[in-house]
Amino acid sequence: MATVVARLVRAEWTKLFTTRVWIGLLLGACVLSGAFAALFTAFAGDQESGLPPLDSPEYARLAFSIATNATVISVVLGIIGITQEYRHRTATPTFLATPQRGRVVIAKLLAYALVAIPYAVLVCAVTVSVVLVYGNARGNTPELTGENLEVLAFAGLALVVYTVIGVGLGALLKNQVGAIVAALVYLYVVEPLLRSIPATSGAYKWLPGGALEATTATFQGPDLLEQWQGVLLLLGYGLTAALLGTLLAVRRDVV
Amino acid sequence: MNGLTKTFGKVRAVDDLSFTVEPGQVTGFLGPNGAGKTTTLRMALGLITPDTGTTTFNGVRYAGLPEPMRQVGAVLETAFHPARSGRDHLRVYCRATGLPVRRADEVLEQVGLGTAGGRRAGGYSLGMRQRLGLATALLGDPAVLVLDEPANGLDPEGIQWLRGFLRHLAHAQGRTVLVSSHLLAEVEQTADRVVIVGAGKLVREGTLAELRSGNAGSVLVRSPQSTALADLLRSTGTTVAPTDTIPDGLTVTGLSTDEIGRRAFAGGIELHELRSHTSGLEEIYFQLTAGQEQYAAAHAEQGAA
Repeated sequence: MATVVARLVRAEWTKLFTTRVWIGLLLGACVLSGAFAALFTAFAGDQESGLPPLDSPEYARLAFSIATNATVISVVLGIIGITQEYRHRTATPTFLATPQRGRVVIAKLLAYALVAIPYAVLVCAVTVSVVLVYGNARGNTPELTGENLEVLAFAGLALVVYTVIGVGLGALLKNQVGAIVAALVYLYVVEPLLRSIPATSGAYKWLPGGALEATTATFQGPDLLEQWQGVLLLLGYGLTAALLGTLLAVRRDVV
Repeated sequence: MNGLTKTFGKVRAVDDLSFTVEPGQVTGFLGPNGAGKTTTLRMALGLITPDTGTTTFNGVRYAGLPEPMRQVGAVLETAFHPARSGRDHLRVYCRATGLPVRRADEVLEQVGLGTAGGRRAGGYSLGMRQRLGLATALLGDPAVLVLDEPANGLDPEGIQWLRGFLRHLAHAQGRTVLVSSHLLAEVEQTADRVVIVGAGKLVREGTLAELRSGNAGSVLVRSPQSTALADLLRSTGTTVAPTDTIPDGLTVTGLSTDEIGRRAFAGGIELHELRSHTSGLEEIYFQLTAGQEQYAAAHAEQGAA
């Protein structure tokens, strides 16, 4: 079983790295978080922007959590990883090679979780570089120690977990465009709305976005969980999506 | 395959279908579009769960086979990522089944795609896509091959190549080959045995010779003395009718070309043309499939009645 899954993980990596999708997503994630890092550094301490000043601990936490903006790219990476099999109908040869479909989905989850680690490290490195270099040019750089380092690590972890959530979501929805649109609408419309409406903001802390915010706890947020609770909840979402996706993929007919 | 049944909504796509495929032969799986061929093959390979029935390969269900790609090779559709090269596509499945990646190059050579392996599969012609599908099936050097409409989209040269290739795999290498088609001519050229399905049910099964016997087909004969010839040929078990489009032509069923020629020669009648019009199998197939070209599957209620 273990060697079979290891083989399937390698097959998934071959699939991922023999098209150019991964380059686009990686560049997109780096540019996105790098640009946010530059903006936040540029306007730190600016009265109108409301951002904390460069030398404040709030700014440091904020700057090192910027990589979480790339979670949207993580979700898309995971979604594409599984829905391309249905979109290009390669689910047929894939499940012919491995009729135990559960193994295929487990291999995908593992393959994408593992790929997400260097991806998260790179995105975090780009963010930190921009913050340090640009901050230095503006006269102050936050220290990469203690609590700041923790925030950075959790931002990286979030990138990995969101990739796993993406794989699970893709397995659930099967339709590539539909799944990506659903993810974007949820992340950029539904969650911000729930967060800002007083009646629903209490529930927000239980959502993936709320859990993510709790792990990297920036500033002026609504009621959130403790950091460790946020981490567990986020992992829980990843596992639930993975489990549901696996069950569905195993049961559905491939026509 | 034993008692396979599958209902989609109200349509009974496959209805209690059972048949056996033997090694060392090419078995044609023949039926009009919508007869349930693809559904049957997908059920056999564990991609669709049948309502009832099982399919086994040497006594084992597909999902129960250790290393299924090394025992059964299947081409169900030309499925690949358009941006991935043919060689990389094959390497994916080498990795997934634990085969050495050089198998990818070997099967590319085998199907005549050696030089195109590095190109993006999205740019392949229909015929090249069929060859890539065949290459995927051959990766594990399987003893059993299951091919769904592999001749679709092939040019005449490609079809010629495919026929020879399938016969070579079965006769020279002793593999079991099951190939589906909605075209009788295709099956007649390739297969040793035929399984004919219509509306999800088994219609006929047997060797080509068995199916041909008992129905000689129709013969077209042309003669300036067509009236005299018609009288000469009429006997029990034969029909003779003037051919609509040819003024001095007769369409004869129930007699072979040999027999007609012999009788005409004995009767001193001059012949201008004598040829087989339709083979016996063609007649059978037309009768079986008349009026059910498309949407051939019966409704489930009717099927159950």
